[in-house]
Amino acid sequence: MRRLRRTLNVPAVAVALYAAIMAGIVWASYTGAQQMGYNWQWYRVPKYFYTLTEGGIQPGEILIGLWASIRLSAAAFALATLLGAAVAMLRMSGLIVGKGVSVVYLELIRNIPLLVLLYLFYYVLGPIFGLTRWSAAILTLAVFHSALISEIFRAGINSVARGQWEAADAIGMSRAQASIYIIIPQSVRFMLPPLTGEAVHLIKSSAIVSVIAVAELTTVGRNIISDSYMSFEIWFTVAAVYLALTLVLSFGASALERRFNLN
Amino acid sequence: MSTTRRKALLLGLAFAATTSTITQPALAQSATQALSQESVIETIKQDGVIRIGLSIFTPWSMRDKNGELIGFELDVGRALAEDMGVEVEFVPTSWDGIIPQLVSGNFDVIISGMSITPERNLTVNFSDPYAFSGLTILANKQMTEGFSDADYNSADVIFAARRGGTAPVVIAQLFPEAQLLLFDEEAASVQEVLNGNAHATMFAEPAPSIEARRYPDKLHVPFDKPFLATGEGFALRKGDPDALNFFNNWIAVRTASGWFKERNDYWFKGVEWQSQVAD
Amino acid sequence: MRRLPPMLRGLRWPDLLILAVLAAGIGYVALTIEGTLSYEWRWHLIPDYILRWREDRGEWFANLLLQGLATTIRISIYASVLALVLGVLLGIARCAQNLTVRLLARTYMELLRNIPPVVIIFIFFFFLSQQLIDALDLNTWARGIARGDNAAIWEFFFGDMRRFPSLISGVIVLALFESAFVGEIVRAGIQSTPKGQREAARTIGMGPVQEMRYIVLPQAMRKVTPPMANQFISLIKDSSIISLISVQDLTYKTVELVASTRLIFEAWITTAALYFLMCFGLSLLFRRLERRL
Repeated sequence: MRRLRRTLNVPAVAVALYAAIMAGIVWASYTGAQQMGYNWQWYRVPKYFYTLTEGGIQPGEILIGLWASIRLSAAAFALATLLGAAVAMLRMSGLIVGKGVSVVYLELIRNIPLLVLLYLFYYVLGPIFGLTRWSAAILTLAVFHSALISEIFRAGINSVARGQWEAADAIGMSRAQASIYIIIPQSVRFMLPPLTGEAVHLIKSSAIVSVIAVAELTTVGRNIISDSYMSFEIWFTVAAVYLALTLVLSFGASALERRFNLN
Repeated sequence: MSTTRRKALLLGLAFAATTSTITQPALAQSATQALSQESVIETIKQDGVIRIGLSIFTPWSMRDKNGELIGFELDVGRALAEDMGVEVEFVPTSWDGIIPQLVSGNFDVIISGMSITPERNLTVNFSDPYAFSGLTILANKQMTEGFSDADYNSADVIFAARRGGTAPVVIAQLFPEAQLLLFDEEAASVQEVLNGNAHATMFAEPAPSIEARRYPDKLHVPFDKPFLATGEGFALRKGDPDALNFFNNWIAVRTASGWFKERNDYWFKGVEWQSQVAD
Repeated sequence: MRRLPPMLRGLRWPDLLILAVLAAGIGYVALTIEGTLSYEWRWHLIPDYILRWREDRGEWFANLLLQGLATTIRISIYASVLALVLGVLLGIARCAQNLTVRLLARTYMELLRNIPPVVIIFIFFFFLSQQLIDALDLNTWARGIARGDNAAIWEFFFGDMRRFPSLISGVIVLALFESAFVGEIVRAGIQSTPKGQREAARTIGMGPVQEMRYIVLPQAMRKVTPPMANQFISLIKDSSIISLISVQDLTYKTVELVASTRLIFEAWITTAALYFLMCFGLSLLFRRLERRL
């Protein structure tokens, strides 16, 4: 018994066993679906990635959707960072109204589901401000994530030692000068890793805008399924594409974390 | 037994039936028996309940002031259950998942104003049509002022439609240049047009006319003619001749007695029911 | 400024600027709704869709929105219990001695944490939930109960029993999804126990189960409770997504209400407010409890 346990703990054996189990799961679901009468048509999937024409390689719907998802997420993230910084500044400003406004904003956003927020922005605020679906989607994601990002900023600034503020004050800097020259540059290294994590989170959230027909990856997937009824293949493909995107970012995040920890 | 296993069994039986009819008539006999025992009609009788899938879509089906389902389909479903001597259970579902859910066995039949199209027919079976409605365009009055038929076929024109419906296919055929946005619910498409985010949407009468009457200064139905006179049928899982036969004849009987026409007039031509929804 | 009440005495000019901007924004929104949109508010209809007096039966009954809210609450409670169980198992597996177990737990968690929830929910719904419901024959069972004598008791816990299979799909998918996050919290809690203590437990002859039970878990509990409370609130918020697979929760009922009545503004604002009250109330409660501990 003990010998068995020791053998199982040998890394090579453990990894091989892991690989075998994973392969078993994949095989079982593949044949299982087939036995239930599902007709796998993986050969039809590549054309949604690219097609070869005389003019060269044409990107397929999934790649176009992926690119839209990336653009959407990038725009929303940039806006969320700005909003988050503004809210964090208000929160730490010491102004009575400023603090009140930022607290109300944070609590509101934090306690309403993203999907409901999206419906609010699209169906309620959309017509009032004349928002297109694309801008409503970006605004929803930006507002939702700005609440989380502002907390990252606050934590980052608070993690700079108090003495730094006092030292800046002692050499005659104003509060604004101290922030810009002393505190913010130092706090960046505390903020970067969680900010990257938040970017991953935002990409995941962005899938939800498919309910208002913004042409991004999930919408593209759902549209392909309603045309081709290849629900299994397309959903797995879409999941894999998201996974690739978020894992790349996650690894980037952990690499950043390690680098800044070394400093 | 799961429906999928049942289907596999049916396939096997059908295969056995075709190969054995020549040599062993007795086997064919038992195969047909098994086939009729596996029919959804049998499970409905056994369970004493028929489960009907539908999607909210005025006036086919909607929620009244008490939050209860009312509409044309509800009348059809209740009458059907009454004639079968079973209870009825309505399963409200979002439109783009309705066919997958039927196939996977979430309900016995779809009665939800579903137009019969060849594309859908590849996945499910349809009964004979029990209602006929033509698709028509509901457009934003300001944005489409003075538009002719051809004006809608332009890259500047945006259509909204319900995902998985017949309308997107028809729009893509008739107006290939126009942009097309897909939504889960009809109400969302109408809202798009109302808010001026889309020029027009297309769905089955009489709903567009009702909408145009509700917002006379914002919406209009620019064309009198239906773009595609489709029939709506019950959708059921493939491989079930007994159920198909039963539904077809039920529709024939109820049509002959004038019941369908009477219900059709009540929900689609009249406005009495509107006070049940919201003032 | 000297005549202001003490609460407002600390006001400075940027405060007034913010107030002015806010007032201008609200004014603009109000004007647009009244003017260009000409939206016809029908707030008076909303209370009826929460609670309505039914004249034909002479009783109050919960209408669409309250029914949906009840479903959301039920689903959140059951899903969080299930997610807690799964998550604790995952967290322990993540810290197991055996590499295979660690890798399997890690794969599960990374997959669920890196794929959008919307996609996970669709995948689960179309691939697994119907198979599960068929295999357990839940439909027949639930209908049997709905027809039985004790239906009222069951309905208190699970709502309309005829919708039970859909409720269960919602609970399972939500639990599977949240368990990955709970697992991460549990892992962090377990790993926060200093290594020396675990080694000490081993030297005095404790087995791995005893070590978990007496040394690690009691300490981890204290570390884990606050993030767990937050995760519960997240779960309530995430539960709105299962409306996309036609589970009859608050969000789904609101979509139906809007489809039937076109009360777009009123219905969505009401629903947002209901979610807010629920989540904010809980977060206040948790904060108070945390302070007391």
